[in-house]
Amino acid sequence: MPLPLYYYLSITAVNILMSWALYLPYRVAHLHFLTVANMAISGYTAGYLVMSLHVPFGWALVVGFALGGLIGWAVSIFIGDAPTFAVVIVGFTFIFITRAVIQNLPAVGGPMGMFGLPNIGGSAASHRWIILGILYALVILVGWLIHRFDNSRLGRAASAVFVDADLAASLGINRKRLGMLLQTASCTIAGGTGVLYGFIYKSFHLDFFTFALVGFFMIVIFVGGYATQWGAAVAAPILYGVPLFFPPEIQSWRIVIYGALLILVLVLKPEGFITPRFVRSIETFLSGDRKKRNITLKEVV
Amino acid sequence: MKKLIGVLALVLFATTLGFGQAKVVAEEWQIPFLNCLTGPIAAIGEFLEWGAEYAAQEINASGGIAGVPVKVIPVDTALDPQKGSVEMARIVKDGLVAMGPVPEPVIMAAMPIAVEAGMMSMTATTSLEYAQKFFPWTVSFLPPTEERLATIVAAWGKEFPDMKKVVQFIEPYGPWPGMADGHVKGLQGIGISVLPPVEVPTDAVTFGPLVVKALEEKPDGIILVCNAEKAAKIIKELKSRGWKKMNHILVFSSADDPQLYATGGTDLNGVQVYNYINLDISNPRWNAFKAAFAKDHKGMAPFSLSPNYYDALYMIKEAIEKTGVTGDPSKLAEERKKIADYCANVKNFHGLLFNWDMKDGIPTNKPNFIFQIQDGKKKLVEEVR
Repeated sequence: MPLPLYYYLSITAVNILMSWALYLPYRVAHLHFLTVANMAISGYTAGYLVMSLHVPFGWALVVGFALGGLIGWAVSIFIGDAPTFAVVIVGFTFIFITRAVIQNLPAVGGPMGMFGLPNIGGSAASHRWIILGILYALVILVGWLIHRFDNSRLGRAASAVFVDADLAASLGINRKRLGMLLQTASCTIAGGTGVLYGFIYKSFHLDFFTFALVGFFMIVIFVGGYATQWGAAVAAPILYGVPLFFPPEIQSWRIVIYGALLILVLVLKPEGFITPRFVRSIETFLSGDRKKRNITLKEVV
Repeated sequence: MKKLIGVLALVLFATTLGFGQAKVVAEEWQIPFLNCLTGPIAAIGEFLEWGAEYAAQEINASGGIAGVPVKVIPVDTALDPQKGSVEMARIVKDGLVAMGPVPEPVIMAAMPIAVEAGMMSMTATTSLEYAQKFFPWTVSFLPPTEERLATIVAAWGKEFPDMKKVVQFIEPYGPWPGMADGHVKGLQGIGISVLPPVEVPTDAVTFGPLVVKALEEKPDGIILVCNAEKAAKIIKELKSRGWKKMNHILVFSSADDPQLYATGGTDLNGVQVYNYINLDISNPRWNAFKAAFAKDHKGMAPFSLSPNYYDALYMIKEAIEKTGVTGDPSKLAEERKKIADYCANVKNFHGLLFNWDMKDGIPTNKPNFIFQIQDGKKKLVEEVR
């Protein structure tokens, strides 16, 4: 496989998974940036396990998922039903704390970072296939689970909380438990993804986990569409991939283009490009049911 | 007859020489430069890019590399490891040699790709501690941090026999804490005691509490290991709290950039700073470089890392010419190795400011300089080797 394609595909998978990790708690209006801190915590932990304690990569990955979930659950006890703004503040604070702690831990390289993560599978080529295989297996698994969630009673309960938390509570929805479930799930995804992110680069540096990453995931979700998982799945490859093919003169304007796009979408199409209605239309069209549902191809397009 | 045999022998000898020297097949040497041209450090990226482009202009004006023109291809990584890795993956497909990446996060994401492909990419602005992880597929332009900095700081300490206790303000970014360790070694080596350091948070905006904390220890000297803006603000804060011995403050090299002077103004008068270049050195190449830089940058002087990628391109030129690299795609792996091997042990390399040698990728005899700041200008105090 050509190297640029490998890096594109693997980083795209990371971006999809991390955008979903933000999408899930946003189903109950929580912008949960703790996920980015979790990427770093699990990633560095797994790196330390593999490099210093010679733990097999598979176990280190499992620890990464578990650690992410554990931290997510512990924090969610306090902010499972907190307002959006409070969740944002907690997330940002955790990113700062995580950076400070890692900077002061010589065992994981401190501010220098962690170098020379080994090839999984013995060679560089097998490393690439294994990482790619795990990442896309995760994309399929997490995508399927989110799809199941979105179409379940829990998913509808989350939609109710998103629209009006008090009304949802009056319907008997336990807002806190739902918030805790979604935050824990999202942090679990982020933990494992953080491990894989570092193993793509075979190194860890604190600046792999910056607010720029938070910004990119936000753009993916809000431009793609925050009301359906397909928004992130479609927007992540495009928003990451298209600028790579811009000529150098336009590349310089990448951040401006992202910003302008985000503003335009928020003003003109606040739900993002991919909306639940759009997804339903596609599903109906693909299932050949369009006459019955009175939806034409023109309407879909 | 004897003359005829002589002429034939001469022709044969000349022909043999011709066969011995491989012919350059490249029509243009394209050297990609992975740099941060957008994002938070775009200004530094522009300075570095300018140096490389200027070297390319000079080289082309004097006949190119082995008679073939060279072109620096700017590749913007935007300080983004995600972008840097894909760009490096593209370059290693058929690139002969590259420059960059800049800075450390992108180096860490992208250099493993160059190492795996066996292609040299010159990380000319990072410290040895980062570069050496990727040897032999890069070289360091800076000698070992601890050893070098210990020597410089010891020289500064010897200037002031009254200085007995020094405190450092340290921002925990990349190699900076390691540089602070080098300072400690130098100070302790000359019998100066080092007080517990004051950590400068990366996101710090006010410095009063940090300065108060430092002054409580009653230091006689201060070393600032933080970015330029923070260093300037700490100096202002020190001055406002009654610090008088300005030359007992030493600013480390990474903070010696225009922002230090813009923020600090005349409050910097008397403060000392160490760096690896001396703007006052005079030689025709450097003078032309300074003049051209000033012309393109509203009269500004080059900053400390400006010559690095200028020198990097000249080092690549020398490697190509001295090892007979042809640019033939069928010899890519072999020629990549030739360039890397040559650069790792180049002798008497004619840099923009001084000549130096490399041993196994590490420079062995580069000078360092201590300056004193007066009205926004630096005056040389001493050269340290």
